[in-house]
Amino acid sequence: MPNKLIDLVNITKSYGDHVVLDDLNLYIRENEFLTLLGPSGCGKTTTLRLIGGFEQPDVGQIMLDGKDITNLPPNKRQLNTVFQKYALFTHMTIAENIAFGLKLKDKSKAYIDDKIKYALKLVNLDGYENRKPDSLSGGQQQRIAIARAIVNEPKILLLDEPLGALDLKLRQDMQYELIRLKNELGITFIYVTHDQEEALTMSDTIVVMNQGYIQQIGTPEDIYNEPENAFVADFIGESNIIDAVMLEDRLVSFLDTKWQCVDEGFGNNTPVDVVIRPEDVVLCKPEEGTITGEVTHVIFKGVHYEMEVMAGGYEWLVHSTVMHPVGEKVGISVDPFNIQIMHKPESEDEEVAYIEE
Amino acid sequence: MKKFIERFYVAIIFVFLYAPIVTLMVLSFNQSKTRSKWGGFTTEWYSALFKNDAIMQALYNTLFIAIASSVVATIIGTITCIALYNMKSRTRNAMLAVNNIPMLNADIVTGISLMLLFISFGMRFGMETILLAHITFNIPYVILNVMPKFKQLNPNTYEAALDLGASPIYAFFKVILPEIMPGILSGFLMAFTMSLDDFIITHFTKGAGVDTLSTKIYSEVRKGIKPEMYALSTIIFLTVFVLLLIVNVAPAQKEKRMALEREAAKNGIIKKSLFKPRTKKWMNRIVAVILTIALIIGSVQLYKKSGGTNQVVVYNWGEYIDPIVLEMFTEETGIEVIYDEYETNEVMYPKVASGATQYDIVCPSDYMIQKMLENDMLAEIDFDNIPNIKHIDENYMIQSREFDPENKYSVPYCVGTVGILYNKTMVEEPIDSWDVLWDERYKDNILMQDSVRDAFMVSLKRLGYSMNSTNPDELEEAKEDLIAQKPLTQAYVVDQVRDKMIGNEAAIGVIYSGEAIYTQMENPDLEYVIPKEGTNVWIDSWCILKDAPNKENAEAFINFLCRPDIALINFEYITYTTPNVEGRALIEDEAIRNSEIAFPDLSKYENLETFRYLGEDADRMYNNLWKEVKSE
Repeated sequence: MPNKLIDLVNITKSYGDHVVLDDLNLYIRENEFLTLLGPSGCGKTTTLRLIGGFEQPDVGQIMLDGKDITNLPPNKRQLNTVFQKYALFTHMTIAENIAFGLKLKDKSKAYIDDKIKYALKLVNLDGYENRKPDSLSGGQQQRIAIARAIVNEPKILLLDEPLGALDLKLRQDMQYELIRLKNELGITFIYVTHDQEEALTMSDTIVVMNQGYIQQIGTPEDIYNEPENAFVADFIGESNIIDAVMLEDRLVSFLDTKWQCVDEGFGNNTPVDVVIRPEDVVLCKPEEGTITGEVTHVIFKGVHYEMEVMAGGYEWLVHSTVMHPVGEKVGISVDPFNIQIMHKPESEDEEVAYIEE
Repeated sequence: MKKFIERFYVAIIFVFLYAPIVTLMVLSFNQSKTRSKWGGFTTEWYSALFKNDAIMQALYNTLFIAIASSVVATIIGTITCIALYNMKSRTRNAMLAVNNIPMLNADIVTGISLMLLFISFGMRFGMETILLAHITFNIPYVILNVMPKFKQLNPNTYEAALDLGASPIYAFFKVILPEIMPGILSGFLMAFTMSLDDFIITHFTKGAGVDTLSTKIYSEVRKGIKPEMYALSTIIFLTVFVLLLIVNVAPAQKEKRMALEREAAKNGIIKKSLFKPRTKKWMNRIVAVILTIALIIGSVQLYKKSGGTNQVVVYNWGEYIDPIVLEMFTEETGIEVIYDEYETNEVMYPKVASGATQYDIVCPSDYMIQKMLENDMLAEIDFDNIPNIKHIDENYMIQSREFDPENKYSVPYCVGTVGILYNKTMVEEPIDSWDVLWDERYKDNILMQDSVRDAFMVSLKRLGYSMNSTNPDELEEAKEDLIAQKPLTQAYVVDQVRDKMIGNEAAIGVIYSGEAIYTQMENPDLEYVIPKEGTNVWIDSWCILKDAPNKENAEAFINFLCRPDIALINFEYITYTTPNVEGRALIEDEAIRNSEIAFPDLSKYENLETFRYLGEDADRMYNNLWKEVKSE
C-alpha cells in the first residue's frame, strides 16, 4: 500500500461563527484519484483550499510527504490547482499562460518550449500557442488550465469543480480525458465536485462530506452499494430509505413485514434505516411478493421505466425494463443481498441535510 | 420622409453641439483681431502662440499638473481599490458612497474648502497646492474607473498565479495589473482631462506667479481674449479629440478581431493568431519614458521656483503689463518678481483678504481702493522711495483724492474715461451729449454697458446728478429714464460693444476710452466723445498691502513703473491711457501722442467723477433698481 502523501490532522476551520470543518481527519495516498463529494456548503472546497494553501486552518496540521506545510504560502507548495472558472491570464497568450510557472522556476527557453508543446499535445490542443484565452471555448480553456498546471510536474493536482461550467456532452468527454491524463501522468488528483455521477465515474476513492463532516470514505462501489447512512444513500443516486427495526441477525422488519437480509451484528430489536436501490426492487404478481401494492405513476426514461408503487403505506421508487400500467396490483420482492441496513444517525449533524442543488 | 426627419434631427443636434467649437476654430485662422470681421486666412496666431512665453509657461504648467496629479491619483486610487476589493461588501459599498460624494460636490465648494484647509495648515500657495488639490479631486474618478475592473476580476486569477509559484508582488504586477489595466488607463485619462479642464479649484488654490491655461485665459477676460487663445483652444480640442478617438476605436477593433478568431476556431480553419501582440510593448515603453521625463523636469522646476528671498509679489489685472518690463526690473534691481493675475476687482479682493498668498502689491480700481482703505488693508507709501511720482499728471493725482483723500496710498497706473463711441456715417450731426442715447432716430442702434454702475452713471449724469448718488429719488428717476430708453437700445452688452461697432452693427455705444482707441484703428469711421454732462474717470492705481513682506521692493517696483521709458513700453502694450506725462511725450506716433481720446485734457471737462464704494445698503438699492430695469 502506497504512503500517505497528504495527511490532514484534526483540521477545524470556521468563518466567523460558522464552522465549516470540524475536527476533520483525512489522508490521501500517492497516485490516487480522490474525490471530495457533497452538496454546496459541505466544506469540500474549503478542504481543497486548505491543501492548496489559500486558507489556513484554525486548528490542525497539514502534512505533505511527512512535512508540515500548514503555514506554507501557496507559491511554496509543490502542488497545482485547476480552478472552476479556469482563471486563465486573459492578457497572455496560451503559450505565455502555460509558461508562467516554468519561467518563475528559471527554466531554459528550450525546456519551456518543449514543455508547452508536450502539454498542448497532452490536452489535444497543439497549435494553439499564440491564441488568446478569450478566443477559445469553455472546454478548451479548461484544458489549457489543466495544461498550465501539469507542466509544473506537481505531486498533486487539485481540481475545484473543473467541469462545473461545461455542458453535459463536453463534461462527459472531459471526464474521460481526466482519467486518461491521470493514468499517463501518474500523479495524485484531488477532485472536488457535487456531481455524484462524475465522482462515481472517475474516482479511486470518494469522500462524501456534509456540513463539515466526512460521512463516508470508500471506493465508488462501496459508496453506492453500501452507503453507511441515509445522507450518503440519498446523495448517491436515488434510493428507497425506510425506517426499520433489526429484529436479529439477518432479519429486519419494516412496513409491518419481516424481510430476510444478510447483515449481522446490529444487535436485537435495534432501530435502523433500510436502503433499497430502485433497480433492486422486483415487481411480480401480487401473490408472489413479500408485500403487495398498486402502481401510481409511470414515466418512460429510455433504458428503463420509472414507477411509483404504493405498498405498505410507503411510496416505493422502482426502476424496471418491464412496464406495469397505473392501477395494476403488483407484488414487491427484494433479494436479501440488496437490502442495505444502516445505523440511524447518531447526532443531528449527520442528519440528512437539505440539499440545495 | 421619416428617414429624412431622422437625419435632419441628428444633423441639428450635431450643429448645436459643434457649432461653437467650429466657430472658435474658424476664428483662430482669422486675420482680423475682432470677432465680427473676417480679415482673411492666417496662421499668424499659431506662430504667435508658440512665441508667447507666458502662454507656453501656462501650457507647460497645465500639462505638468495634469500629468503629475493624474499619475499620483491613479497610483493612490488603484491601491485604494485593492483595499476596497478585499473589504466586506457592506463596508465597501459605504466607502464607495463616500468616494462618490466629492464628485457630486460643486467645484466651488471643493475649491474653497481646499483653500481654507491649506490656509489653516499655513501652507504657501503655489504649484504644490494646485497639485495637492488636483490629486485630491482626481482620486475619486480613478476609483470610479478601476473598481468595476476589480469586480469583473475572476477571484481565482490571483490565486492561480500564487499557485504557479508567483510571489504576491509578482502576481500583482504580472497578472492583476494587466487585467485591470483598461480601468487604470481610463481612470488616468479621466483624471487627466478633469485636471486639464479645471478652472475653479485651481483658481482658489493657486499661488502667485503660477497659472494654468484656464486661469490664464480667464485673467485675460477684461481686455478681451486674444486670438492666440483661439489657436490654443483649437489645438487642445483636436488633441483631446484624437485621444478619445484612439481610446474608443482601438478596443472596438480588438473586439472585432477576437470575434473573427472565435469564428475561425469554431470552423477549425485557422489555429494561428491573426495578430501579433508584441508591437504594443514599444508604445507602452515610449509613453512611460515621456511621462517620466515630464515629471522629472516638472519637479526640478518646482524646486527652482521656491528659491530666492529678494522678491516682490505682484497681483495685477490680466494682460496689464508688458512681460519684458518684469524682466528688465529684475535685471536692473536683482529683485525677483512673482507675478499673479486677476480678472476683476471682486475676484482680487477676497483672495487678498484671505491672506492665502502674501502679496506685496496690487492694482485695484478707484472704488476698490476706497473699500480696501476702509478695511485697513493698505499700507502708507513712502514717497521718498518713489521720486518718479513727479512724472504723473497732476490732474489724476487730484482726481484720485476722491478715494485716497491725501494721496498717501495709491499711485495711478492706468486711467481712462467712459464716453460715447459713434459711427460718423450713421449719425446725422456731431454728438456731445448723453441725450443721444435717448434719441428715437437711433432706435435699435444703441449699445449700453451691461453693468449696474455704468448704466446708472449714464442716466444720472444725463439728469445732472452725481454718479455716486445714494439719494433714492434721484435713483428712482434715473431708473425710470433707463426703462424709458430700453426699447430704443439694441442690446445691453459687455465687451461686444467694440466688435459690434467695428462691424458697423450699431451706430452708438457706451464705451471705455481704452477700447475706443483700438476700435478707431480698426474702423476709421468711429469717433469717441466725452459728453458735456460729465462722465466717469476711472483710475487703476498701485497700492501696497498692509502686511506686505517686501514693502521696499514694492516701492522700488512702483518707482520703476513710473519711469517714463517704462511707462511708454507699458502704454504700447496695454494701449490704455497712461497718466505719465513724460512717458506720453516719448510716444513717436504724433496722432496717438496728441489723441484726444487717449489723453484728454481733464481740466476742459466739468462734472468728472470717479466711482466710490457706496456701502452695502446703497449696493443693494442699486441692484434692486437694476433688476427692475433688466426685467422690463
